[in-house]
Amino acid sequence: MDLGKIFKNTFLVILTCLLLSACATQKKVSTGQMQGDVYTGTDTVEYLASGVPDRVFFATNESVLTTASRDTLRKQAAWMRKNSELTFVIEGHADERGTREYNLALGERRANAAKDYLMTYGVSASRLQVISYGKERPVDSGSNPLAWSKNRRSVTVKAN
Amino acid sequence: MFFRYLLILVIFLPIKTLALIEVDITRGNLSPLPIAVSPLSVDDESKSNLNKILKSEDIGSDISIVIENNLKTSGLFNPLNKNAFLQKPDIAHLKPRFEDWALIKAQALITGKVTLVDEKLRVEFRLWDVLAAKEMMALAFTTVPKNWRRVGHIITDKAYERLTGEKGYFDTRIIYVAEEGKKTNRVKKLAIMDQDGFNTKYLTLGNELVLTPRFNPANQMVTYLSYFRNLPRVYLLDIETGVQEVVGDFPGMTFAPRFSPDGKKIIMSFAMDGNSEIYTMDLENRVVEKITNHPSIDTSPSFSPNGKYICFNSDRSGYQQIYVMKSDGSNVKRISFGKGIYGTPVWSPRGDLIAFTKMHKGKFYIGVMRTDGSGERLLTENYYQEAPSWSPNGRVLIFYRETKTDEKGEGFSAKLWSIDLTGYNERLVKTETDASDPSWSSLLSN
Amino acid sequence: MIRNIAISSTFHLLIILIASMSLPFLLKKPIDLPPIISIELIQITDKTNIPFAPKAKKIIEKVKKKEKLVSEQAPPKIVKKEKPEAVPLPDEKIEKVQKLEDKKQNPEKIDNEVKQVSEFEKEELFDPNSIAALIDKSKEEAAETKLKTDKITQDQDKSAEMTGLSLSEEDALKAQIFGCWSIPLGLPYNENLLVRIKLKLKPDGSVIKSEILDHARMNKPGQGFYKVLAESALRAIKLCQPLRVPTTGYERWKDLQLNFDAREMLEG
Repeated sequence: MDLGKIFKNTFLVILTCLLLSACATQKKVSTGQMQGDVYTGTDTVEYLASGVPDRVFFATNESVLTTASRDTLRKQAAWMRKNSELTFVIEGHADERGTREYNLALGERRANAAKDYLMTYGVSASRLQVISYGKERPVDSGSNPLAWSKNRRSVTVKAN
Repeated sequence: MFFRYLLILVIFLPIKTLALIEVDITRGNLSPLPIAVSPLSVDDESKSNLNKILKSEDIGSDISIVIENNLKTSGLFNPLNKNAFLQKPDIAHLKPRFEDWALIKAQALITGKVTLVDEKLRVEFRLWDVLAAKEMMALAFTTVPKNWRRVGHIITDKAYERLTGEKGYFDTRIIYVAEEGKKTNRVKKLAIMDQDGFNTKYLTLGNELVLTPRFNPANQMVTYLSYFRNLPRVYLLDIETGVQEVVGDFPGMTFAPRFSPDGKKIIMSFAMDGNSEIYTMDLENRVVEKITNHPSIDTSPSFSPNGKYICFNSDRSGYQQIYVMKSDGSNVKRISFGKGIYGTPVWSPRGDLIAFTKMHKGKFYIGVMRTDGSGERLLTENYYQEAPSWSPNGRVLIFYRETKTDEKGEGFSAKLWSIDLTGYNERLVKTETDASDPSWSSLLSN
Repeated sequence: MIRNIAISSTFHLLIILIASMSLPFLLKKPIDLPPIISIELIQITDKTNIPFAPKAKKIIEKVKKKEKLVSEQAPPKIVKKEKPEAVPLPDEKIEKVQKLEDKKQNPEKIDNEVKQVSEFEKEELFDPNSIAALIDKSKEEAAETKLKTDKITQDQDKSAEMTGLSLSEEDALKAQIFGCWSIPLGLPYNENLLVRIKLKLKPDGSVIKSEILDHARMNKPGQGFYKVLAESALRAIKLCQPLRVPTTGYERWKDLQLNFDAREMLEG
């Protein structure tokens, strides 16, 4: 029966939708400035050049680049290739919710994630230096999830 | 007939002796031992001379206050109010009237005498058992007058050891990071002070970021992380000469340093290309050895007191956990399995426990576990606290605690705290500025 | 057809309901309950005097269920002041062992006081602890004679059971000593630290003689903990005098052994 088939399909679609939405509601709701717990706002962002943001943000305890981060880094790479006389320091940072020593290692890992990505887009490793500040240099002194998300970052800074 | 009596005697005698009543005493007071610290007596001549040198009205009383504060801080003693003392210091030092001291409920008594001999401070002290009416210990120390606080600390150590059965921890120092300024741009300096917060000295000027200082076993060297010239590297500072040097020649960040128990090596992390591994460097022949080999973060290493094992922090399971391995890097075993994540393991000086920081559900805990990971005990919970360091006798942990800021991001502070292994006696450790990353020295005198 | 639609939509609704209610629940992490704290209930006979231990971490008290004879407890007596024993004056033994010159110290950069040079000399003046001092024999002889005079009264109690103190009698004594004993908290609980003290008592509960049974252990090297514990036990007995003993049956308890064991208190 045709209609039966249609109902069956509709049911499956609804069920899938429900399943997916059930997953979504378990994750942190995006608050406009955060997606998951990755910062997506622009309050703290500075620009290396017009349209080239200087920093990318990370999820808690993660050093994986998000889609937005990769986008930012591609812009940085393109701009770096154009300005080949410049060298850079990539600063890795962590939020305050971790032990100091581990955060130093985590910051280093984040900065290297950014560095590696820039390198795959044609920026020579010799122009990129990495430094980790762990939790020592937060941009936001707040003690809340939004502040922490701003602090979990890797910042590209001109070195010369 | 006679034999019959004898027989009865033989039969009943052993029974009678067996019937000795035994009572098991399995409980007692855990309240602090009442102790009287009599002001140390000073003769008039010494007093006026010392007055000139030290600008102190009554050095005998000052030393007794040092002792009193130490005993009180330990949580194991209850120093009694001096106003209740009936005997004068000089007479008490010669021959205490024990019934007077028993009357104010003192169970132990400390007396002493200070003299100035050839520009040297000479301090005698005696420890008395008030209830047994006997002397328990008598010692004399000679030193330069400006060391008078240390005399107080050493006396406390001796009395503490005699009364509790374990070594004291009062003649010790704490090296830490003194902090000032806004949270987003803290100025940090290396600082060193006596265990009771006095005699603070700053070892760096605060021009560069410094972190995680740690003493060597002889207390003459400090290893720490400095961002000098924006190159985060492990440094070695000789606090006698003030000479500093970079440890090893690494092409990247080195951090999380500690000395080996014999003081001959420094163990630390080296981060390269997003991977942190643990290395040791021999300070004599400068040989560098790689200890771990894993693409995860391996950091916060700490040797066992016998030097045979290393505990460290790794996220090879996905999250920060505590691992133990042999000192050559073999036999890596995870030991933390509770809920939450674990960091900053430090092996106790007694060797039987590992102290750690635990993070779970947005709270930070300081805790201890046995070296196989069993018997986990959390001692204190807070918004943020970490980096425990053991007192040399393994009885007290010092750590630092940071406050949560308010909505405006204001109100940040970092302070040192101490807590007993029992989970009792949590105390703020007095520092001149904000402070973090404490490291406890071993006993300066033995 | 309509029937099919009806059935189908009912089932769909049902499944949607179930899904929307149960699926998010399935995704939730298991509830994290705080660990269960087990509390051991202590069974106490009606008239026992055992106080709850202060601050104790883990105290397991096994009370044997037994028929209890109610006995009046002797009211605590006022402690008789004893004359202090002569105390040796040790001044002449004090010696300074070694003087220390100010070492030449590095003038720049680091303050002298920061240095950790051992600027101290200390010396133990003498060893004041002999076992003999710990065993209080002072009143032994006097009491021995008193014992004999008491003999007659004991005989009346002979008929009573000879097997020891009744539970409440024992509890009264325990409770008293629990209050007097300041446990040295620095002791390691994993060592064998049982201190057995044999007492000879007067009928009023005051102590004629106290003797540490393994006193050979006291001065052995490496047994510092034992000594500290033993001394604390002796202090407790001194502090508690006269002991809260039963008013009757002197013969039963004139010799009494107290086993001081701090493990329960120190563990945890």
